[in-house]
Amino acid sequence: MSSHTASSSNGGNGSGDSGVPKRNSKRPKYSKFTQQELPACKPILTPRWVVSTFMLIAIVFIPIGIACLIGSRDVVEVVERYETKCIPALNRTNKVQFIQSDANKTCTISMTIPKRMKQPIYVYYQLDNFYQNHRRYVKSRSDEQLKSASKENDTSACEPEDIANGRGAIVPCGLIAWSLFNDTYSFSRQNQSLTVNKKGIAWKSDKQKRFGKNVFPKNFQGGGLVGGATLNESIPLNEQEDLMVWMRTAALPTFRKLYGKIEVDLEEKEVINVTLMNYYNTYSFNGKKKLVLSTTSWIGGRNDFLGIAYLTVGMISFTLSVGFTIVYFVKPRRLGDPTFLSWNRGPGSH
Amino acid sequence: MSGGWERLKGSRSRTTRDSSFHTPAPSRTVTLGRVQPQAPGHRTIYCNDREANLPVRFKGNSISTTKYNFLTFLPKGLFEQFRRVANCYFLLISILSMTPISPVNPVTNVVPLSLVLLVSLIKEAFEDWKRFQNDMVINNTLIDVLQNEKWVALPWKKLQVGDIIRSFCRGAFCHLLVIGPDFLTEFLMLLCHLIVSTFSNSNFAAICYHLSFIGKIEFGNVKKDGFFPADLLFLASTNADGTANLDGETNLKIRKALERTWDYLTPDKATEFKGEMQCEQPNNSLYTFTGNLIFQKQTLPLSPNQILLRGCSLRNTEYIVGAVIFTGHETKTTLAKGNESMGILNMGKVMMNSMNVPSKRSTLERKLDKLILALFATLFIMCLIGAIGSGIFINRKYYYLSLDKAVATEFNPGNRFAVAALTLFTLITLYSTIIPISLYVSIEMIKFIQSTQFINKDLHMYHAETNTPALARTSNLNEELGQVEYIFSDKTGTLTRNLMEFFKCSIGGEVYGSGVTETELGGAQRNGIKVQEVRKSSTAIHEKGFNFDDHRIMRGAWRNEPNFDACKEFFRCLAICHTVLPEGDESPEKITYQAASPDEAALVTAAKNFGFFFYRRTPTMIHVRESHVEKMGKIQDVAYEILNVLEFNSTRKRQSVVCRYPNGRLVLYCKGADTVIYERLAGGNDDLKKVTRAHLEQFGSAGLRTLCLAYRDLSPDTYESWNEKFIQAKSSLRDREKKLDEVAELVERDLILIGSTAIEDKLQEGVPACIETLFRAGIKVWVLTGDKMETAINIAYACNLINNDMKQFIISSETEAIREVEDRGDQVEIARFIKEEVKKELKKCLEEAQHYLRTVSGPKLSLVIDGKCLMYALDPTLRVMLLNLSLNCHSVVCCRVSPLQKAQVTSLVKKGARKITLSIGDGANDVSMIQAAHIGVGISGLEGMQAVMASDFAIAQFRFLTDLLLVHGRWSYLRICKVITYFFYKNLTFTLTQFWFTFQTGFSGQRFYDDWFQSLYNVIFTALPVIIVGLFDKDVSASLSKKYPELYKEGIRNVFFKWRVVITWAWSSVYQSLVFYHFVTISSAGGKNSSGKIFGLWDISTMAFTCVVITVNLRLLMMCNSITRWHYISVGGSILAWFLFIFVYSLLRENVFFVIFVLMSTIYFYLSALLVPVVALLGDFIYQGIQRCFFPYDYQIIQEIHRHEPDDNTRAGLLEVGSQLTPQEERSYALSQLPRELSKHTGFAFDSPGYESFFAAQLGVYAPQKAWDVARRASMKSKPKTPKRN
Repeated sequence: MSSHTASSSNGGNGSGDSGVPKRNSKRPKYSKFTQQELPACKPILTPRWVVSTFMLIAIVFIPIGIACLIGSRDVVEVVERYETKCIPALNRTNKVQFIQSDANKTCTISMTIPKRMKQPIYVYYQLDNFYQNHRRYVKSRSDEQLKSASKENDTSACEPEDIANGRGAIVPCGLIAWSLFNDTYSFSRQNQSLTVNKKGIAWKSDKQKRFGKNVFPKNFQGGGLVGGATLNESIPLNEQEDLMVWMRTAALPTFRKLYGKIEVDLEEKEVINVTLMNYYNTYSFNGKKKLVLSTTSWIGGRNDFLGIAYLTVGMISFTLSVGFTIVYFVKPRRLGDPTFLSWNRGPGSH
Repeated sequence: MSGGWERLKGSRSRTTRDSSFHTPAPSRTVTLGRVQPQAPGHRTIYCNDREANLPVRFKGNSISTTKYNFLTFLPKGLFEQFRRVANCYFLLISILSMTPISPVNPVTNVVPLSLVLLVSLIKEAFEDWKRFQNDMVINNTLIDVLQNEKWVALPWKKLQVGDIIRSFCRGAFCHLLVIGPDFLTEFLMLLCHLIVSTFSNSNFAAICYHLSFIGKIEFGNVKKDGFFPADLLFLASTNADGTANLDGETNLKIRKALERTWDYLTPDKATEFKGEMQCEQPNNSLYTFTGNLIFQKQTLPLSPNQILLRGCSLRNTEYIVGAVIFTGHETKTTLAKGNESMGILNMGKVMMNSMNVPSKRSTLERKLDKLILALFATLFIMCLIGAIGSGIFINRKYYYLSLDKAVATEFNPGNRFAVAALTLFTLITLYSTIIPISLYVSIEMIKFIQSTQFINKDLHMYHAETNTPALARTSNLNEELGQVEYIFSDKTGTLTRNLMEFFKCSIGGEVYGSGVTETELGGAQRNGIKVQEVRKSSTAIHEKGFNFDDHRIMRGAWRNEPNFDACKEFFRCLAICHTVLPEGDESPEKITYQAASPDEAALVTAAKNFGFFFYRRTPTMIHVRESHVEKMGKIQDVAYEILNVLEFNSTRKRQSVVCRYPNGRLVLYCKGADTVIYERLAGGNDDLKKVTRAHLEQFGSAGLRTLCLAYRDLSPDTYESWNEKFIQAKSSLRDREKKLDEVAELVERDLILIGSTAIEDKLQEGVPACIETLFRAGIKVWVLTGDKMETAINIAYACNLINNDMKQFIISSETEAIREVEDRGDQVEIARFIKEEVKKELKKCLEEAQHYLRTVSGPKLSLVIDGKCLMYALDPTLRVMLLNLSLNCHSVVCCRVSPLQKAQVTSLVKKGARKITLSIGDGANDVSMIQAAHIGVGISGLEGMQAVMASDFAIAQFRFLTDLLLVHGRWSYLRICKVITYFFYKNLTFTLTQFWFTFQTGFSGQRFYDDWFQSLYNVIFTALPVIIVGLFDKDVSASLSKKYPELYKEGIRNVFFKWRVVITWAWSSVYQSLVFYHFVTISSAGGKNSSGKIFGLWDISTMAFTCVVITVNLRLLMMCNSITRWHYISVGGSILAWFLFIFVYSLLRENVFFVIFVLMSTIYFYLSALLVPVVALLGDFIYQGIQRCFFPYDYQIIQEIHRHEPDDNTRAGLLEVGSQLTPQEERSYALSQLPRELSKHTGFAFDSPGYESFFAAQLGVYAPQKAWDVARRASMKSKPKTPKRN
């Protein structure tokens, strides 16, 4: 920059410059960039654009909304809350004590199918007020350990569930695994039991890449307190699908997790009996437990939100587009009306 | 700024003292600012003897202005970076994120910080590299050094103390240009004093002194190698008297070598020179030097007059020979660099490499700091909420968190307070993204490109005549240019060209001259009249001082005019009644006129062109070569005897000459202001008087400077009796001036009016139109000038600053009352009285102004105030009144103000009114003003570099201000506002989604997004588009910006960066973040594909992040006024970059392992990716729709008006701009037909030569002979009774 300035004093005297060859000219070169003349599209948000944009949104969104809603309504979902039901009436004053005792926790509930459910019917459990997304909880795992047997001792992140007293590293370590959900369900209709397929409930990527096929549970639940389910030490982690599902931690404190699939159709009005082992302690923190049976459609499980949202946005857009049109006709502002310019509007434009 | 006078006095007393070397130490403590304490002792230099100097180890002459070297670059550069609060903050956050309480991986904060630092360091390195290259160029410049009795060209860096060198003045034209009156800088006064005290007997010095009082002297063009490579002892020059003229800046300095050394000019002589020099240690005092030259066993004292400073250049001297005293970093100019703030020392800054760009911060950036503070406050509140929540939440009942063991403090339910406190820190690291770390570096990059690529390369601001493009010397102030409300302008050289041209005249009631002034052009354009460019007839004469064409009186045609007698008298009056000295060859083409004022020169030049060529002045005679007088084509030399010269001064406002024709006719020719001439006219001939007055008014409103011409025939008797009185008065010892005036009164009466002249004080091209445009843009232009009031008002008229519809308030010290008090001479009394007067005036004006403001359509107001009154008005007690008055005025003219006052007025508005100010000037006297204002603009090209050196922007012409402010400034402002608000929005939105998540994680501070998402959000996924907007966004095209200057007012009102705007964006952020978080989480509940599988945390956060990236980038497109392909590329690229990143990244990292593939295998992903951005943007879209339809901004209306027009700037148009030669005075005849407004303003503005004595008196300096003394002498020597014939 400095050379620039210094030398500009040389060219200073106008009279001397007429004979100066072109190369000495400091005339900037023309380019669209430096002259700020790059071709550009200049969108102007005219009322017509506003109205048609809203219209377009309405036209696109309302059908999608309807489709989503239909898709969601096709899904048949039965929800049964059981955390209180499954505590014997006598023990209901102190549920925590009951759940921590060795008492028989078998419990039978029945569910009525409101509508014919076509297979596969997915079985979910839903927990409430369970902070799988707590910072202490989320980081308490070792992905290296889960993946390969050689990294078994890679448990630094798993504190406090890292090492079993004197017996080496816990596999899988960490609070997440430790608190594995352990209620179990068995279904029957008309005394004929329904098999629950527990295969294929985890994401394929988890199964193939995240959990090692030669990593076996070790020292699991060996600590003082048992948090949740135990694992069969002879089955490698990549086949422990319940664990995989559990370890894909939920984003919110209310979450569902896939338990299994029932691969027969269930008819309307049918009553399904569920024998469940109510082991899991959600009573400490007043968490609800729900059992969910659900079919799926093309958009997945029952979720009206998307459909409603699409519809609502579509409707709002439609209303706005109509509203804008009306306002535009009632109180139009001519495009580029100079009377709207501030210096034409206000008094005293000094 | 304060204390300029004391400084001056100090330095003067310093320089005038006998500069013997053994002066006692205390005297060296000069009050010249921060002068370094001088090291004890002295240096002894053996001239021309390298071996002898060797033991002392003087420093070399190579200089380095670089900030860093290889070793210091990293530590020093990093240190510089961490002086920024934002960087420090992120350093702290990064350190915090290394601790276990951090929820995020350190990379989250380290990566953006490192990237930002990297970019900044690269920029630093680049700039330093340029400095280095520049140093190299300077260090390798060649200079002739005496070696082995030969001049050997060596690079500057090889120079050593004691070397004898020869410095050329190559390419100098050596022509002298008197540029006209200007207020003198403190420096000039000092300099003159210096010269006078040194050369009090030298005629040459006296003339130079005189000339430099008149104005600036410029000595043509100097090539680079004319600069002195080091501080030199001046030994000899090619000038016979051993002098050399230097150009420190615009101003001439004269140096004179010691007589003893004059001979050492040739190599063989110079080789013999073996002197020993004892001198002071290097110091930064530019105007002092003490030392002795021990030479041929004699001790010769050295003074500053023998010192040539590095970086100064040689003018009109072929070459000089000197001995090196101080080298490299020890030169005075280098050492004085620190004193930049002091205008007086700026003259040393000519050195090519001592250009420290003044660092000013823009107002917008200061406001940005407040925004950042607000963000910090928000951050703290968010963290506090989270911290309190965490303290409440934490509970042993959540057994799965295993809190019952000896858990870390941060989760220990036993100490909720500690949990809250630690969570606070955790959350600070988590929410750190709320502070946009890349904001500063992005803005810096944007501004850098804006200034180097757009401003510096704008063809509209390239001045072909002087080959000068615009130059942004700092990139800090681009957007400040878009908010300027007050412009303080210098007059000479800035508004005017400092060129007086004879333009029109009125002779015997007839107007001659067909030109159209800039003012008229501007007026015509305002009235929508297309000015037809009519080329001048090829015969038209246009030379310096003369721009006139009228076939009726040119080339002797006046003989055929009905009033040819009046014409003759008119031309004779012009040729005789003046105090001009002719110089050079006695031919019309080659002669130059030395005049006290350029007006006079213009008048004499005019006479020459009319055929009355004044070519010689002898003490008693004026020789005129008259053509066509007796008959066409006849040329005769006539000698007029000058009997008396009645001088011009500001009270008389006229000048008369009594002359005797060769035939014995005695005539008094008089020229002066219309008011004084009309008073003294003989009775009768009222028609002519009326017509001429009408013409005067016409000239005045056209912005011309007028003079009335009159004559009176004297009978020998009348003259004799009068002359006796005159001689008496002349020889009186007391009150001579007053008595002379009185005597003059006696003869200057019963005059016969001849006509009037109109001289154009040539405005710079396009000035009135530019000022008009600036006015419409809501900018107020103040003229601060050293000129006297009439000139200033006249120029104000010419520039349309003042017109006749305005109510003028004039506060002048030139009133009878004040003059009376001044005559009494009691300083205290004078001060008290003037202050009282000023106060009275101010109060009166203010009341009147308020009265006018209350009326609905009152006239616009203008204020004219002179320097003396201003001095008192700036007094703290009156300052508020002055400010109130001047802020209500449409235009303000301050005349006869000193550089210091210029700065004071500027800071009065800057600090008192808190408005954004811009100062524009071209000379050294504007430096203080330029530095005081928010933005300093220097006029580059013709004048010296001093104003440019102090400025932030340099342009070649005043009119380029329109482009600089209305186009570049406005765009920069808009862009920077958009960039800042957008940064604010995108970071807030992103952080808020994180914040909402915190509520559902038991306030544990769990992060919602993956570490890398968070760290790359700012630096990759959303970085580029906003820079593109900062570079390319434009609401309306450049020509529309200039066509609708009112658009600029949006910047002055700061419409786009108010808190209201920020809050609107904040609401948008809150809304959008709520949409992002809740829509994504709610809709993700339940099985998400037909196989019923469920998403985990990272699936959902990736989904949310995708939505954020898409939305934030699209939001950017929504706020663009123009979308170039770069917008598409950057926005599309950013979104694409995110997907590319996540595809690769999800293959690698555990958390988000395969997440994107899982997500994209579900229809849910696509449904959400459509829904969420649309819903998020819907709010903004509705807002924009409503705003645009019902509360449109001005620019939006303009866009709509011109929506069908293609971009008007076409390449062809630009090429035309470039190739266009000087808009040679293509005046149109059509315009002369325009209806003219008549006014009372007749535009008298002849510069009285007497006014310099004002400065001389201030300095207590003896004013030496003036040019007009020659004429005075002539009149005194004349012997009226025996007229001689030549």
